[in-house]
Amino acid sequence: MKLLGALGAAALVFFALLATLDLAIGAWFPSFDRLSENFSAPYLERAVRALAKEPAGSEVVAIGDSVLWGYKLPVTENVTTQLHRSGLAVRNLSFEGGSPANTYAFLRLLLANGVRPRAVLFNVNQKEFNPSDSAYQKIHPSLDALAGNLLTRDERAQLLPTVDRTSIEARLDAWISAHWHFYALRSDIREALFNQVDAAHALDNAIQIVSGAKARFDAEHRPTPARFEGTYDLSPLDEKNVSVIFLRKSAALLARERIPAVALLTPTNHVLLHEFIDTPQYGKNLEFVRRLLLRGGVRVVNLDRTFGGGEFIDNDHLTAAGNRRLAEILEPELAR
Amino acid sequence: MIEIVPGAKNVEEVLEHDPVFKLIGMRLAHPAVLGAVLFLIVVAIVLLGPASESRFIYTDF
Repeated sequence: MKLLGALGAAALVFFALLATLDLAIGAWFPSFDRLSENFSAPYLERAVRALAKEPAGSEVVAIGDSVLWGYKLPVTENVTTQLHRSGLAVRNLSFEGGSPANTYAFLRLLLANGVRPRAVLFNVNQKEFNPSDSAYQKIHPSLDALAGNLLTRDERAQLLPTVDRTSIEARLDAWISAHWHFYALRSDIREALFNQVDAAHALDNAIQIVSGAKARFDAEHRPTPARFEGTYDLSPLDEKNVSVIFLRKSAALLARERIPAVALLTPTNHVLLHEFIDTPQYGKNLEFVRRLLLRGGVRVVNLDRTFGGGEFIDNDHLTAAGNRRLAEILEPELAR
Repeated sequence: MIEIVPGAKNVEEVLEHDPVFKLIGMRLAHPAVLGAVLFLIVVAIVLLGPASESRFIYTDF
């Protein structure tokens, strides 16, 4: 009896501490300048709700892929932070692995939550029209968890499932996440603490830097054209392409909701990709996309050939200097 | 340092009289401390666990 009492008291303290931690997280969990690499659905939900509380028309919302997210750069050097420095209120909701389908689902989520941005900035990346691109026909699972039920049956039919939500493990995970905020936000917390997706990656990264292995690996794996063979599909774009379908839907949705939009035709490293993309069909596909957007009432900034080879990290991700120049180009477009 | 207790017959008796052991023993036995230790263990497991969430399923980054 005494033992049971002690265990009960221990359990009481245990759950009281868990509840206190959750209350503290609810009250003080920070809002990051961009989504984490492995952002969770609850974090995204918090970000969208916070945005919904802002006065209508006060902020520009960026919904793009890793180019706008700032791949391989600290958040202080990406394009939206640079825009922020120039005095423009921009909220970066881009993420690695974005695509036209993801942009559309994100727009649906924002509008369903009453978000009324001053303008929407998104980028259109030719590689995401390639059916073999990982994001071509998939919605990011955390976005899907919130926006999936906002899509029509026809829209869902265009997409492939990403995660199995029916397994016992997935249901248990969902149940714990629903009752324990700290657990639900674990991927965001880990990245805030370790600056990597988890502690193991952080430790591995530190060892690689100290031992010099990271520098050697980076030197041996500089982007070469061969690495991007097959990244761009130069088949003529048509209405059957899933990215075309969702791009058209995004333009129509923005027009219907009377939200100004700026689409950026993604800067592309033509020096690196010359043998794969410098063909007439690439230009025709780009023009197809540009016209589609213009007809939908979206302002288009074509930066496909604006940047030199030295301003890229790889095929389409810009260096810190490249991001600064991108911000300089975008600032007058967004400040209108 | 464990204090040698005059007249003690075995280790338990020695330990029972040791002030440090008594302090630790008492605290570990306290249910509140047990609950707090369990809490720290669970939080540490969640924080230090491997990332197995969506990103790895979704993208090839």
